[in-house]
Formats: sequence, C-alpha cells, structure tokens
Amino acid sequence: MNNEIREAVPGGQGEVMAHAVDACVHCGFCLPACPTYTLLGDEMDSPRGRIVLMKEVLEGGLSLADAAPHLDRCLGCQGCVTACPSGVPYGELITAFRGWSEPQRARSSLNRAKRSAILKILPAPRLFSVAARVGQFAKPLAPALPAALRAPLDLLPETVPPLQPSPPFTPARGARRGRVALLVGCAQQALAPNFNAATLRVLARNGIEVVVPEGQGCCGAAALHTGARAEALRLVRANLAAFNPGDYDAILSNAAGCGAGLKEYPAVLRGEQDEAQAHAFAARVMDLSEYLHGLLQAGELMPPLPASRPLKVAYHDACHLAHAQGVRAAPRALLRFIPGVTVLEVPEGDLCCGSAGTYNLEQPELATALGQRKAANILSTAPDLIASGNIGCHTQIQSHVRRAHSPVPVLHTLEVLDRAYRGEL
Amino acid sequence: MSSDLLRRLAPRQVLTSLAERRNYRYDAIQFGETPLAVVLPETTADVVAAVQVARAAGVPIVGRGAASGLSGGAAPAVPGLVISFTRMTALRVDPSRREARAQAGVVTLAVSDAARPHGLIYPPDPASLRTSTIGGNLAENAGGPMCFKYGVTGDYVRALQVVDAAGEVHELTRDAYDLAGLLIGSEGTLGLMTEATLRLVPPPRFTRTLMAHFPEVGACAEAVSQAIAAGAVPSKLEFMDRACTNAVEDYLGLGLPRAAEAVLLIDTDGDDLPTVEEERALVEAACAAAGGTVRRAGSDAEAAALWQARRSVSPALGRIRPQRMNEDIAVPRSALPDVVREIRALGDASPFTVVQFGHIGDGNLHPNILFDPRQDDSHAVHDLAHRIALVALRHGGVLSGEHGIGSMKRDFMRDAVDPVTLGALWTVKRALDPAGGLNPGKVLPEEVNG
Repeated sequence: MNNEIREAVPGGQGEVMAHAVDACVHCGFCLPACPTYTLLGDEMDSPRGRIVLMKEVLEGGLSLADAAPHLDRCLGCQGCVTACPSGVPYGELITAFRGWSEPQRARSSLNRAKRSAILKILPAPRLFSVAARVGQFAKPLAPALPAALRAPLDLLPETVPPLQPSPPFTPARGARRGRVALLVGCAQQALAPNFNAATLRVLARNGIEVVVPEGQGCCGAAALHTGARAEALRLVRANLAAFNPGDYDAILSNAAGCGAGLKEYPAVLRGEQDEAQAHAFAARVMDLSEYLHGLLQAGELMPPLPASRPLKVAYHDACHLAHAQGVRAAPRALLRFIPGVTVLEVPEGDLCCGSAGTYNLEQPELATALGQRKAANILSTAPDLIASGNIGCHTQIQSHVRRAHSPVPVLHTLEVLDRAYRGEL
Repeated sequence: MSSDLLRRLAPRQVLTSLAERRNYRYDAIQFGETPLAVVLPETTADVVAAVQVARAAGVPIVGRGAASGLSGGAAPAVPGLVISFTRMTALRVDPSRREARAQAGVVTLAVSDAARPHGLIYPPDPASLRTSTIGGNLAENAGGPMCFKYGVTGDYVRALQVVDAAGEVHELTRDAYDLAGLLIGSEGTLGLMTEATLRLVPPPRFTRTLMAHFPEVGACAEAVSQAIAAGAVPSKLEFMDRACTNAVEDYLGLGLPRAAEAVLLIDTDGDDLPTVEEERALVEAACAAAGGTVRRAGSDAEAAALWQARRSVSPALGRIRPQRMNEDIAVPRSALPDVVREIRALGDASPFTVVQFGHIGDGNLHPNILFDPRQDDSHAVHDLAHRIALVALRHGGVLSGEHGIGSMKRDFMRDAVDPVTLGALWTVKRALDPAGGLNPGKVLPEEVNG
C-alpha cells in the first residue's frame, strides 16, 4: 500500500510503520483470523481496515479521534500475522502506532487515572498482590459498581495466594548441563506464584541452573501496547542492563506475553543507539517450552512419571506464543512426553481468548464475548485438564470455564510437567 | 441519504463516519472512491430498504463481499452507497436434496464445512475460500483449482434471490430464460444477489497428489497438454512459475524447488482407485516426457501443505513488489506452451517483474505485473498488461477466466468483443439497470457513439 509515512514520522518508528503499511496488499486473508472482525463483521475492525486507518491518520487524512475507537478494539493478538502471506509485521505497526499516538490522545481524567493505575500496579508484584487482596473484599460489591471498575474485579480469582519471591540462584540437581536466566514476570508472581516455582523445579531437575538477575523488572509489553512508550523504554533499558551481557545459554520466560515482549526489543529500539544491544539480547530469548523442547529433541529431558490415569489435556495456544513467537509444537511435545497424556486440539484454536494484556479491562464486552466463546470451544473437547503458557490466558480461561460451571482444572504447561515429575499427575 | 437510511435501518447497520467509510473503498487489488455511506444489511429486506433509499437519492450502489476480488469489482469507481454483505451469514444445509441455502455473506469455506458432516462438499474453491463470500463468488463467477474437473461457482447454483435496481426481489431458477446465469458473473452491475441455493456433491473417495517441476516454463504447459490429450482428467492442475514458488517459499518454507522455472501441482481423484492411479500415471508420464521431475505427496498432510502453497501465491507476491496488475486470461489448452512463452518473453523484455501462475488445466493463466507505484510508470504497466491481454486474444482466448473484468480490464473489452455484441451487452445492462446506478464504471467500456 502506497504511503507517505516516512515523511510524517521520521526516525526508527516511522520506518517500522511505513515498512508494515508498504507490505500490505489488502488481500483480506487476515479477515477470518481477526477476533473483532469475527465478532463485529465490519471492515474497520479488521487488520486490513486498521492498517488503512493508521495510514490515513499518519498521513493526516483522518483524525486520530475518528480512528481511535477501531484501533482500540484491536487485541494485539497477531492472529493476522500468522494468516498474512505478504509478511506484514502488523504487531510492530500497531505497537509503534500506539506509542506515537498516545501522547496526542484526549482522554478523560478518570480514564487517564485508570490507565496510569493499571500501568503502575501491573508491573509491581507487591502492589498488585495488595490490590488483588483489596479487590477480593470489594468483589461482593461488584454488581453495584460502574463497568470500568467491575471488569477488573470480575477477573480476580477466588483466592489470591501469598507472594513467593523466586531465589536469585537455583542450583542444578545432579550434573550441571546448562545455565539460564529467568524473567519472573509481574502479574503472575501475584496471581500464580506456582508458575515460577514449578519452572525452577523442572529446570533444576533437568540439570539446569537458574539465575534470576537482580534489577530485572516488567518486560514493558503492557506499557508498550497501551502506548506508554516513554515508560516502556525505561523498562526495556532496565532489562537490557540487568540481563546483558550475562553468562547464560538462554534468557527464558514462562509467560507468552512477556517472552513476546522481550523478543520485540529490537523493533522498539529501532534507530536508537542501543539497537544492537537489543538484537543481541532478543537473539537469546526463548519461551521456556522452546528451551525444554530443545532438551527433549536432544534426548536430554528427564522422562516424567506416568499420569495416574489416562489424561486428556486441552492445550490452549496463547496468541503471544503461537502468533507472536511461532511456538506451537514445543508445548504440545512436552505434554505428550508425559506417559498417559493425550493432547486435544481446541476448535477455533487460533482465535484469541480475549485476555490480551489489559484488553479485558479496557474492552470488557468484547473480551467477555471472546472468553465465553473460548471456554465453550475448550469444554467441547471434554478435557480432564486445560493447559496454557500465559498468565493472562490462564486467568481469563479459568474465569470463563468457572462461569460455565465446569470444574476442569486450568494449569500452566510447566505445572503439568512439574506435577508429572513429582508423581502428582 | 444518511438520515433516510437511518430511518429505514438500525443504527448498527449504517456507517457514516469518515473512518468507517474509508474502509469500504478497496478490494484486494485496487483503491476506489470513498463511499458516501455504507450499509451492513442482515436480511434481504434491509437490502431492499438500502436500494430504495439510494435510488430515491440518485446515488449509485456497489455491492461488496469480503473484498478479496482481484479486478477492482468491489472498489467504488464513483462515490456512492456500498452495501457490504458480511453480516448476512445465514446458512442451511438440506442433505436430502443435496443443497445448501446461503445468504450472500457466508464465507465460501463455511459451506463445505457445514456440508461435510452430511457426507457432502461444495466444490468451487477459489484461493481465497477462507475469506471470500458466496455473494462475491457469484458476482465474479469464481473458479478455483477444482474447476478443471468440477466447474465454477455458476455450475453449482440452482436458484438465486436477487434484488434489482428498483429494489424488487426476484427468485430466479435456471429454467426458461436463465436469468440466474446472466446475473452470475455480472459483477454487481445487473442486480444484487442476496441468497443462493447451492448444489452439494459427495466428495471423491480417493485423491492422489503430485508435484512436478520443470527447467522451462513452456515445458510445463506441454506436459499439461499431453496429459490431457492422453485422456487424464485431473481434478486440479495448477502451475506457478519460479518467482511465485519463491514468494510462497519465503512465507511457508515448505521446501519447494526454488530453482525450478515452473512447478505443477496435480490432483487426480474419483471413487475408483485403479482409475485414479491410472490417471496419475498418465500425468506422471507426460511430465517426465516434457523433461519434468515428478514427486508424489507422501501423505495427506504433505498434499495439504502443497495446496496451501498454491492458495498463498497471489497475496505472497506482495513480498516482491507492493502492487500488481493482475491478468486472468483463459486460452485454448493447445495454445498454452506458446502463450506462456510469449508472456514470459514480454516480461523479460520489460523493466517489470512478470510472474505467471494459474489453473493451467483450464488454460486459465494469471500473469501478474509486479511494480512499485512510487518508482514505476503506471502507463507502462497498463501498456504491458494490454499487450499480454492481446497475446491471449490472438490465440483465441478470453480476458477473464474467473476474476471478472471489473475496472482493471474494462479498457481491453473493445479488443475482445465486437461493437455489435458490445451494443447488445449495453442493451441488457440498460434493461435491468435503466438509471445506471449499479456498480457504474465496471465491466462495459463507455459506448463511443451513444
């Protein structure tokens, strides 16, 4: 698609956006892959439509205020990226656009306060944990509250577990075969501390020692995808400093959203002086399932104990794992490695569950429609267990599976593996 | 007009803001004029209301499906009302009659998906079948790889519901005057197709998939001619040249032969396995005789991957140049080797990248001129497209196999159709659309002398 974006936004981010818009041939192959197009059936809520809207705004042909409602409805799930034969880097485009446009947005002071509170609380596990506890007390009041406040309360799990900070160093059990650095994530430390505990146990058991570098923080994805670019840059640079250079075989994340965020650093810093450092960093980032799958393929992954009974596990592809990082085979292979486990494919598996970072806080109606659809699709496979690799999906799916009155447990892929190693599956 | 539309339709069905309207001005190849308003009907009655309002306001109408078309058919040539059918998605399968009744906005693949549990399929399979709608398929009379053996969209239509230019609803069948046949492929210039009764068939019990690659483009066409002359009736016979193979390989990384000048994909199918295998042997022999290297798909998954490769050709070409002029010629099979070689030579002599692919079994080729509008001269592109069209016509071919004429090939119609016949086409157009309000600027070139 022709564009004059490079003239409108000079510099690295203008280049990122112009390149993406150039690549789109408006063929429409992305339409069926887009959750909002699937729900709403109109062009401006599709990837192809949003690309046109962003182009028009950047070139001055359309006001930001006119385009914003449709751009805000994008989940950033990147289902369209998988579907696109022309190779349009849509994820980079919408992220860069949100960073460029946010400072120009006119928002109500309530809306601004809510966004800033989310961005303060989300990356701070202690604060998040406290907020979650307060929220639990407020839960019974939810029906009386305005929608903006009700959405986050609806999502809180029934119980908020105590924080379990990860140790800075976890030694390998037995012979040491590798050394990795782990990004421990933000929200998941507060909502599901067992994800990290299970991760450390599985790695140690396989002879991998784990460093949790000091000074690491939020990956920056939440800030970046909501347009808070300055805040995101601060977080990105803090992580570059914390993890680089570091004597690690890999930098691991067990949250799809965070892993995708880390892999995005080169695009975020395009044209900046630390771009090369970001490339070196991102080249070492892997999802935990990718890393363990490497061990499995090398014949070096310890065999787990068999499940106590035949188990049907419905595996949910997190968008930021499947679409953003292209990781689909690894988690399935790890689950199948457990004797007795069958992996089930979920109908409409490529469609986002509606969690999408802060989306369920900002677009609660669409998020709920997608959450219900995802829960129904998953439960249609009659699973014994549901597994996924992302805290956002985990929370969303658990919440909608429970609302559908199903008792099926929802676990992180690593928790399933950990339970198998411990003979508890 | 907007207030009239809002009086007759629900607010969610009428789009009036600039951000909304801007998104209804393109198809998969061209940008047109921003519409004055967009209507998203849910029922035929909604379509009637929209047509009546537009007619009263003297505003032209463009029908639109998923806008994955490749001839500019859904891109408005003048500002008007766009009626987008994407929310008309009701679909009902009647297995006892082997029929499906589909509203215009039903996605093509959804028909087969709904029919399959009843042991039936809907054969027309345009490359865009996951995206494109039945209404759009009807408007362009879409084909697809299966069309060599099984035919195109129009061959599967038993009945059509059409809203005419005056807003009247017609139920058309295929008897007496075949008005349904006239409407199919008319690109929204004669009426708006709102529902169709589609014929379903049982899928063949056996399918065999082959890939052959060739060191020269013409040799590939010779293999096709020979295989068919020998008596093979493959269900699919598709070709892509080297640039296509490489664009797709960049996208999917399937291990296609990057160095080959042409790749042929072939399915033979049927309910009698020995016949299916015999046809495959005939095709293999013809490919080998023409200097090709043959590979059989080892599994269903491998066959599915090869077909996904073919489906992705068209949009994957965007990786080479941002824009393209898309031809859709169909020529007699006996002329295929000459035609592909002549087009190849025209491309080589031009400053542009010209690629070729298509349903070669039907003689339906898609030469594409890839260009960058910022650097390349659009007149030179148009001129080359014209010369390619003339190659087809010189060999007894036609301008469109399945994508329609739209606005892209409208100028070439004078070369393809004699003035008397063109006059007859105009008479038909005026009979059904006296005010000229349906998709103006498409298909028929303006008459020279009134």
